Amino acid sequence: MNPFPLAAPERRTLRQALACATLAGLAAILLLALSGWFLTGAAIAGASGAAAVAAFNYLIPSAAIRGLAILRTGGRYGERLLSHQAALTAMADLRGRLFGKLAAQDSRTAPDLAGGDASARLIGDIEALEDLVVRRPSRPASLAAACFAVALVALAGWKAALALAILLAALPPLLTLAARRLTTRPAADAAEALGALRTAFVDYAAARPEIIAYGLAPRVADTIAELARPLDRARAALARGDGVVAGLLAFYGTLAAALVFALSEGAAPIRALALLAAAASVEAMAAFARTALRQASVEQGLARLATLSALPGDLAPSPNTAATPLPITLGAEQLAPGARVAITGASGTGKTRLIEALAGLRMPVHPLALGDTPLARCTADALRRQSALAPQSAVLIAGSIGDNLRVARPGITETEMLAALHTACLDTTVAAMPAGLDTPIAEAGGTLSGGERKRLSLARALLARRPWLLLDEPSEGLDAATEAELVARLRGWLDATGTGLVLVSHRHAPLALADRRIDIATL
Amino acid sequence: MALQKQAGLAWIIDLGGAALFAWGIADGVAAAANGHPMPAAALAAMLGGGLVRAGTAWGVPVLAVRGAQASTAPLRRSLVERLLGSGAAPSSGQSAVLAIDHVATIEGYETRFVPARMAAAAAPLVAVGIIACASLIAAGILLGTLVPFIFGMILAGTAAKRASERQLAALGELSDLFVDRVRTLPILRHFGAEERIARQVGLATREVAARTVEVLRVAFLSSAVLEFFSALAVALVAVYCGFSLLGLLPFPNPETLTLREAFFALAMAPEFYLPMRRLAAAYHDKQLGEAAKTAIAAVPEVAPPAAAPEVFAGVAAKELVIAWPGRTIGPVDVSIGTAGLVALTGPTGSGKTSLLATIAGQIVPSAGSLHFLSPEEAPGALPAAFPSRLREGLGEGESGERATSSGPAPHVAPSPIPSRRREGGIAAVPDHSPIAWAAQHPLILPGTLRDNLALAAPHATDADLLAAIDRVGLGPMLARRDASLDLVLDHRGSGLSGGERRRLGLARALLADRPLLLADEPTADLDHASAASIIALLRAVAAERAVIVATHDPYLVAAADAEVTL
Repeated sequence: MNPFPLAAPERRTLRQALACATLAGLAAILLLALSGWFLTGAAIAGASGAAAVAAFNYLIPSAAIRGLAILRTGGRYGERLLSHQAALTAMADLRGRLFGKLAAQDSRTAPDLAGGDASARLIGDIEALEDLVVRRPSRPASLAAACFAVALVALAGWKAALALAILLAALPPLLTLAARRLTTRPAADAAEALGALRTAFVDYAAARPEIIAYGLAPRVADTIAELARPLDRARAALARGDGVVAGLLAFYGTLAAALVFALSEGAAPIRALALLAAAASVEAMAAFARTALRQASVEQGLARLATLSALPGDLAPSPNTAATPLPITLGAEQLAPGARVAITGASGTGKTRLIEALAGLRMPVHPLALGDTPLARCTADALRRQSALAPQSAVLIAGSIGDNLRVARPGITETEMLAALHTACLDTTVAAMPAGLDTPIAEAGGTLSGGERKRLSLARALLARRPWLLLDEPSEGLDAATEAELVARLRGWLDATGTGLVLVSHRHAPLALADRRIDIATL
Repeated sequence: MALQKQAGLAWIIDLGGAALFAWGIADGVAAAANGHPMPAAALAAMLGGGLVRAGTAWGVPVLAVRGAQASTAPLRRSLVERLLGSGAAPSSGQSAVLAIDHVATIEGYETRFVPARMAAAAAPLVAVGIIACASLIAAGILLGTLVPFIFGMILAGTAAKRASERQLAALGELSDLFVDRVRTLPILRHFGAEERIARQVGLATREVAARTVEVLRVAFLSSAVLEFFSALAVALVAVYCGFSLLGLLPFPNPETLTLREAFFALAMAPEFYLPMRRLAAAYHDKQLGEAAKTAIAAVPEVAPPAAAPEVFAGVAAKELVIAWPGRTIGPVDVSIGTAGLVALTGPTGSGKTSLLATIAGQIVPSAGSLHFLSPEEAPGALPAAFPSRLREGLGEGESGERATSSGPAPHVAPSPIPSRRREGGIAAVPDHSPIAWAAQHPLILPGTLRDNLALAAPHATDADLLAAIDRVGLGPMLARRDASLDLVLDHRGSGLSGGERRRLGLARALLADRPLLLADEPTADLDHASAASIIALLRAVAAERAVIVATHDPYLVAAADAEVTL
């Protein structure tokens, strides 16, 4: 049932949190019940004269009341801290495990989470799950509190206890039912409306130049406001659901108190104790209400997480041995290891697609083969051991320049990094940075220009020591002098290492690196 | 007062319910202590109090969400206007987060935090007032706990606030790291680095988790202070009332308590700290809401459009550079007079659309100059700045027209738009930008074809619209669908092909009747014949006004008077 089992240490922490929560719950009920008993007893003793007052043991109850106040505080603090500790540790593990699962996928078939939306949703889903783990101890603690309250009420006779037991037993299903009826539909509506609104917004945002040119922003804003209305309605319905459940809980508390008091028997202090215990026990059940209300909103997220965590495949370190260079077949053309070709053709004819297929990032649409195996049948590992890609738009990880270069393979030395930066004509730029290789680059670039990012990505590909270098528009955004220098250094590097080259470029200078040109239309 | 604040005050009605219930149980217990059966009034008060409490618990969120949405819906609308109406706004994904997700966060803030804050300010004092009716000393005790409570909250709360801000920041960084590594997974897999990176991600998440637990030890102290004082309030009232009833108080008691009064005070004691506990429960909404407000405040206001020249005589950009963090376009020179066709070319992603948007004044260039020419500067109908690429023999599919010629191409319908050509340039329509934009993916608003065509020309007659439709070659589409100007379109332009949508955008741009037409990839994804007819149309338009196209279609480039390569 639960696709996200917790590890033993977290389960232990959660058990401790549960103990604290139970302690706090019992203390809260007992504090009120004992206070009621004490007051009533004191009033009766006070009215019965000095002898009764002297006989009334006020020290123990009054000390107990103060002690319970401290116990309730400590218990709640412990519960919150321990449950958060368990949840945080568990989610750290889950994040790591999920990332491992995703990392173990084949890029050609993996779920696409590159969009900010998908990854942000993943974070949101994990937070929802974390919230569930944090709340996990509260439900059994509520049940323990309920049993304790029934036991206290039993002091005032079995009828009152039975009534409270029935009321409390009916409450969780009642809350779940009410929450489900009130929130399932609005939660689904809200999710759907949110998706529609987001899609429409992104569509309209793509037409921004027209909107500005014709001054249409107010009209588009009206249209989007219209689309937002179902979302607002659904969210208002969810708030109403919150209200109904809170109202139900409030009335249920007074009902339980009134019923228990009416059915209670015995001395007035005991009846007062039963009354306040009953009222407090319903309050303790509020945890059920919260969980029930959130259930509909988190279910989809949990299902998404479960799908990801059920992906096949596990992470294994990739072998660090150099691969035997294999020939590449492009249509009828066979490229021996070390060959240098340029793929030519008009824009939009799929040159980038071809390069990415060779790199193992996407499924091929052209007839391509590696060695004797058609590309589509090659394993991802076989493909990536043959080639190193510097893609058209440089993909850099958030971190330092060195972090990005070290992605290429394990055990890269600083000398090697500097040599690769030199080949990529980026060495002087990096040397001029105060922190050198340790200079951080922000997620969207920041310290590096577009051309510099591309050359950093090129340096990374050079460091990978693969038999084939795949370059997609390597000199885009460079001035002619730098471009010429880059081409010269790349030629030197290719000569020295004997690496093969598959190149796509609109510009003339890099094409000189290739011995052969293949028109993509002939494939 | 805003509804959500009224909702906060509605919690005071809840206190009335609580008092009714407390009176009911106090009366019942007092009767029991005297050996009487439970009075019906006590039972009625208990249940009545419960109903009042249930009513408020239901009403507060309903009222609050209505009030919240009354402010978030206009906020979202104005944000959308700012985000879509300004070229300087963030990317569409980020804009969606601002306009949709952040606004939802603020709705949560307004729905849960604002009423709680309102209630926390007013309700405790009302609670003390109610308790004072039964026992002045009990009320005084509660007020007395407020002093150490406030002191404790200042001590623990300041530390907790700092700690929870640090925690929020650390968790934010962790999320960013996670998102970044998920985003870059394909390239990490390509280099076989996924296992190393996964270990790093695992270490980082565990390290942040451990650090966060340390932070929470402090952060939860403030809620512990609150919890402690709310428990202590009950305990102190119980002990005082008990000793008072026993007559054992170590000080002379100015009041004589009955059991009913004492029990009432006890039952009401938890209500004193309840509003503050509600406020503490909404603390997370406060943090998120404030972060969202900060992010939204950074969205630029829509800049008023640059003053359009009275007479459009051309536009000139010199050494224009557009720079974003991590990306630079240019320097590039572009200029055009009152007529002619200039093609911007360059590989995908080289910034052609951004350059068009800059010429349109939607993006502020980071260097270089861009200005409308005055009639004196104007190079004349033929853009003299481009001496080179006028050709005699144009290839198949291209119009034979040149920028010097003033007549339309033979197979293109005549322009429905009367010329406003005058000495030195073309008269611009007052209050209008001189620029029309034909997008690659044109804006389509839900409505009819007529509405969509007339977006930029509200006064156009049906005859004008039909003429424009014919001119861009959309006539056959209407005929094939047996449709009229009343054809209903949704925002995706369902039923129209990409090419048809693009023609719609072009027709709209023509109807807008502006002296400068900017067209983004007007022939992309069109078959050869359609592309040729669009090229012919653009050539014809270029005879009467200035046209700049961003394209990588070699035929369109060949048909242009000048090419600017990025």
